[in-house]
Amino acid sequence: MKSPMKSPMKSSATTPMKLLLALDDGPGARRAVDEAIRIAREKGATLDALFVIDATWDVFTGHDWLSGCNSRIGFLEYMQGLEEKAAAESARAFLERRGDVPGELLTAPGDVVDVIREHAARGYDLLVLSSPFTRGLEVMRDAVTRLTRDAPCDVLLVRAAPE
Amino acid sequence: MEDKGLFGKILAIVPGLAVMIGTLYVLRVYVEPWMKDAVVFGSKGWLVQVLSLNYILLSILTGMFYRNILFGGKIPAWAEEGFRTTRLFIKTGVIMLGSLYTFDKLLKVGGVAITLIVAFVFGTAIFVLWLGKRLGADRSVTATMAAACGVCGVSAAVATAPGVRAKPVDLALSIATILGFGIMTMFVSPFVGKMLSLSDYQFGAWVGTGILNSGQVLATCLAFNPNFAPGTAVAYGEIWNVVRVLCIPFVVFFITAWYWKGEADAEHVSLGSILASKFPIFVLGFIGMTALSSLHIIGAEGSETLHLMRDVMAWVFGIGLVGLGAYIDVREIKAAGGTPLRIGLIAGVSKYVIAMIIILAFIPKEGAF
Amino acid sequence: MSDKKKSLTVFKSDRHEDVAAIFASALIVVVVLVYMAFIVPSVGIKASQDGKLVEIFVTEGTDVKKGDKLYSLEVVKKKWVNNVMEEKVAVESFTAKANGKVLKISGKPGDALKKGKQTIVVLEHEKGTLP
Repeated sequence: MKSPMKSPMKSSATTPMKLLLALDDGPGARRAVDEAIRIAREKGATLDALFVIDATWDVFTGHDWLSGCNSRIGFLEYMQGLEEKAAAESARAFLERRGDVPGELLTAPGDVVDVIREHAARGYDLLVLSSPFTRGLEVMRDAVTRLTRDAPCDVLLVRAAPE
Repeated sequence: MEDKGLFGKILAIVPGLAVMIGTLYVLRVYVEPWMKDAVVFGSKGWLVQVLSLNYILLSILTGMFYRNILFGGKIPAWAEEGFRTTRLFIKTGVIMLGSLYTFDKLLKVGGVAITLIVAFVFGTAIFVLWLGKRLGADRSVTATMAAACGVCGVSAAVATAPGVRAKPVDLALSIATILGFGIMTMFVSPFVGKMLSLSDYQFGAWVGTGILNSGQVLATCLAFNPNFAPGTAVAYGEIWNVVRVLCIPFVVFFITAWYWKGEADAEHVSLGSILASKFPIFVLGFIGMTALSSLHIIGAEGSETLHLMRDVMAWVFGIGLVGLGAYIDVREIKAAGGTPLRIGLIAGVSKYVIAMIIILAFIPKEGAF
Repeated sequence: MSDKKKSLTVFKSDRHEDVAAIFASALIVVVVLVYMAFIVPSVGIKASQDGKLVEIFVTEGTDVKKGDKLYSLEVVKKKWVNNVMEEKVAVESFTAKANGKVLKISGKPGDALKKGKQTIVVLEHEKGTLP
């Protein structure tokens, strides 16, 4: 993992620091949001939040060749509905806490890690996400390892609050 | 998504499909013959005879190798569209399997198959509904696992999920459990079958009844005996498979009705609408193929025509199975856990073992055809 | 759903995929039948199981009718009888599946044959029949 401490903290006289918060719906989601907001306030940074709608359910169930008629497409539509609902809830929770921190709320469909990596490469200084990161089917994979392996910017992992 | 047009879509399929076809070619023409002659532990053909590593299992294993090692866990974009034709190939193979039967043969075995499957499907579903309650599982998890363990594994979970408001995490864990169990039984069953000297009829009936995920029944039968001909394991297993697939809408109706009965905001569930949206239409193709065979339109048994047809069928299946392997992500199976895993293991092992006992006790070794 | 089209490739739904599979299998059957009935002029008939060639009932140039005996093979027949695998050596005759003419005899009595390997008889079948 790359340390956020090594990040060249930009002064407020130059371009403001840009943070990207990857939203998820796991146990550490709230802490990650709070931490990203705290850093953004402290550094006078802009904070964009990204919610990835997991579009890999078709690949996840790709080995199922027996589904006929409208079973599979009905299932994929159902999952899409749940993903959109999760996106709306996550966005509402983020906006409620963000207050006056500048930034955008982004939603994009695709493979969760690929989409986050793609966005993080767009000039962000720091990517903030919770660990474990359980957005969509990443609950079955290891998003944190995949993201930190070749991250395009510094990454801050926020662990879930101890119970 | 940009619209590539029909030509563009077909072109996008080519690279992945070429990999699938090329892989099967190498496996069938070079690897399998080499394995048949290879001497391991002083025994010629040990790999094929003992480990059942014929081209069917090799196809799946190679597909898994591509996905999990060569591609680093994800089918690359250039191959994605081609690999998506997997289901089309397997369904086409299943329809062509209809040519192995005539209606009188189907009737001979159909009664036994229907009796066993209906008993096991609804028996397992009811057992899982009870087990879920005992384990204090969420009702939607119990419902999804009851359908999955009862009838056709992943397909049944997929068909039931929207009706019982299954949650994504539970679904992901359920699917990983069922798939993991299916893969394990696919490799273990041929070995057990040979150890117990099961006949093709008994083996087909056993795996057709006892394997959780129907998607693995045919591959398991072909691993036991790779021949496509009347009286082989795949010929019997396919009858069981078709009956199971036909059961899906009824099981979905039963489980969905159970689920909504216990919910405050009960929804009306209609068997008609479930049949309309879940009936596996490709089974009609299978029946059509059996009709052609019954009318002796597709060549006499033992003819070179049927020989060629079955050879094509083997290729169609093999290509599909390379793709099937590439959809199996070992990481995802390893992540299986929680209540779905507990329910799946208890129900899966019980079904597998009880099916074996019933088969050994009541199904004769002599095949019905 | 933005990715719905992408999710099922060329097929809009499983229903389309089911129908496509029915068409694909019908197409394969038609191609095989047309190929064997009209395009292939002759077929090399091979042993359908391992065994020893006992007798060839036809000679080169003979016209044969569907059902006529072509050759006989000494095979080991395995059968489950009362839950016991019974193996017995038997001589089985194999017949022509279509009308035609014997072009060549490749096998000779006493040959040990492997299933689907060596050609025994080359048969030119009537156009439109399935050898």
